[in-house]
Amino acid sequence: MSEAAEFDVVIVGAGVAGALAAGQFAKSGLKVLVLEAGPDTTRDLASYNAHLETFYTASSKGAETPWPPAEGAPQPDGADLFKQEGYFVQRGPHLYGSTYTRTFGGSTLHWLGVSLRMLPEDFELRARHGVGRDWPIGYAALAPWYDRAEHAIGVSADVEEQRYHGLTFTAGYDYPMRRIPPSYSDRVLGAAVNSLEVDLGEERVAVRVRSYPAARNSIPRGDYQPIGALDIGSDGQERSTYIGERCEGNTACTPICPVQAKYNANKTFARADRRHLTLRSQAVASQILFDGVTGAVSGISYKRYDDPRSTSFNEEVATGRVYILAAHAVENAKLLLASGPQSGEGQVGRGLMDHPALYAWGLAPFNVGAFRGPQSSSGIEDFRAGGFRARHAAFRFDIGNDGWRAATGAPDATVIDAVTNQKLFGRQLRTQLADQLSRQVRMSLAVEQLPDPDNRVTIDPAYRDKFGNPRPVIDYRIADYTFEGMAAARKVAARIFRQAGIKDCSRSTAELRFPTAIYDGEEVHYHGMGHFAGTHAMGSDRSNSVVDEFQRSWDHPNLFLLGSGSFATMGTSNPTLTLAALALRTADHIIAKLHDGG
Amino acid sequence: MSAPNDRLELFVALSAALTGVKAFRLRGTGQAEAYLAAVEAIVPWPIIDDLFSQFAALPAGDALEPALESGILADPRLGAVARNLILLWYRGAWSQLPPAWRASFGSSAGDTNHVISSAAYQAGLQWEIAGAHPVGARQQGYGSWALLPAGEDTP
Repeated sequence: MSEAAEFDVVIVGAGVAGALAAGQFAKSGLKVLVLEAGPDTTRDLASYNAHLETFYTASSKGAETPWPPAEGAPQPDGADLFKQEGYFVQRGPHLYGSTYTRTFGGSTLHWLGVSLRMLPEDFELRARHGVGRDWPIGYAALAPWYDRAEHAIGVSADVEEQRYHGLTFTAGYDYPMRRIPPSYSDRVLGAAVNSLEVDLGEERVAVRVRSYPAARNSIPRGDYQPIGALDIGSDGQERSTYIGERCEGNTACTPICPVQAKYNANKTFARADRRHLTLRSQAVASQILFDGVTGAVSGISYKRYDDPRSTSFNEEVATGRVYILAAHAVENAKLLLASGPQSGEGQVGRGLMDHPALYAWGLAPFNVGAFRGPQSSSGIEDFRAGGFRARHAAFRFDIGNDGWRAATGAPDATVIDAVTNQKLFGRQLRTQLADQLSRQVRMSLAVEQLPDPDNRVTIDPAYRDKFGNPRPVIDYRIADYTFEGMAAARKVAARIFRQAGIKDCSRSTAELRFPTAIYDGEEVHYHGMGHFAGTHAMGSDRSNSVVDEFQRSWDHPNLFLLGSGSFATMGTSNPTLTLAALALRTADHIIAKLHDGG
Repeated sequence: MSAPNDRLELFVALSAALTGVKAFRLRGTGQAEAYLAAVEAIVPWPIIDDLFSQFAALPAGDALEPALESGILADPRLGAVARNLILLWYRGAWSQLPPAWRASFGSSAGDTNHVISSAAYQAGLQWEIAGAHPVGARQQGYGSWALLPAGEDTP
């Protein structure tokens, strides 16, 4: 390794994985540099609130709306999906529907906060169900790191409600905060359907509406201190805000929690030992430099800019003893591919996954208090495991508290329909809207996707961004395994609606806002969940993977790739908690090696 | 009805009839002046004047809504503007007038889909009508979402 290295560890990406790892390194006294492509406009309260204003005044309110990118650090945007002029070059045959954020804090700025553990059987999909592939580590090995990750990002849940599908917890363990109170609509839906049993192939599955673990502040257990809104001055000092130490029910987890009661990666940086931590924003990593003999990384070349609205930059090189890419599943793969052909035997970028999802929406028989609370607070987890996984994808439901907002664009879309199409006005309009908006129910049906080597991120010299860095080229196809899971999920959702007396409106409106696929002669309208995964999967040896169980590159001994890109399969849980647990595990592994002199 | 001679009062009275929401609640949003200014900046003045004078001539009481429908909403020139006023109050946002209307009666540079202001977004009637709060603002407080919805007084 380089004699003159400026830092012990150089990390690319100030998102959740990079932040957690950086915090561990700084705590152990290692000198860390974090390079972030986007601007540092999310850590002082005034700047954060400017992002909130951007959201309020935007005419179309998507996941990326509050977080516009810098010229030199472009990002995918849902609005670009049908224009073919966005950051991604989509080669199909299906559109990859998800987005992410390149700014300080990463996509945790706009994530929903769902913090489910993966199930034990998710790590052994091939061994147990004969599909996908197995992870090189199992649930038992990762469980202690899940404990730590749940405390590091601040997860609210009650452990006794989370023991299902073989999930076990350390003796005496509980989450750092009590569960977020389930919404009124969760409770009435649960009362209606918790006795329901649904047949799925040869299995009979009992349905239960269950509160899910969420990285949103609630009532703390023991001496845990919830971290609310940050306000970090230009001197690096944190000022107290007394805001956001509890979820306040803004119904806006995605795209922006106004009070920062939901975890974002900046909270981890705020708690890190600043004596050992250097944060460098507006620094777009563009190439990994390798030692031609050993294959070790000798530096990371990055493009530094002063003005986010400008396309001019200076090139600089960061050096360290260990290098970590924590820039996102797509960005990690892109950066490796842009740095030369010497990595991963053609496996880098392959196996791209998501949770392609459907919406089911309907009208409850009475007022359920829609548009209140966090965006969602409960789910249906009963279809995440079972023998059916040999035949089709597992799935989970997220039960919204936000009416039909995600599915149709309500309440605006409901108002526009009533006024423009139904020609309502006056008292009748007011009465109908009051009645219908308060009864709106929505579920997201998120479906597992298996790794397919042909689903991949590549680069092509023909497609570059304004800094001359490659734009990701995406090949993506949803397989029958997932389509059949979607069909099963749709049937279950319809059955649940029927049981609860909810009038199913799922097919009537707004489907053209989403990507379309044809399966079994029918149009399927799906959307991305933002759950990019699998682009540098971990495995038991170099022939079947890009990294080992510690996320270390097989080809470059001092290079680690963090994030959901390392997932061998992704099950049905939202990936952030698992990638957080993996990041902490990797950080401890690196610390032990460096202190060993390795 | 007593003839309101002030332009803003007339605008609010028309808006109340169109939205089904009482004038004092519309004034309570704090947005009446901003909305009138937005309409005057986007829609040609002769059309606004005709809309106001037609409305001022309508009967009061139970006869108002039927007369509003036949006299204004069914009118090809005034109807689309009136419906846009409804959307404006419910959403705090201006919606571009329909293409056919723009072709017949003119289009202005300001006639685009846009939120009037951050305060207007939050003041949209749709949130209160739903028994809710604007998404991302005026949060109801920890755990409030577990309570019975507004207006549902019995468990």
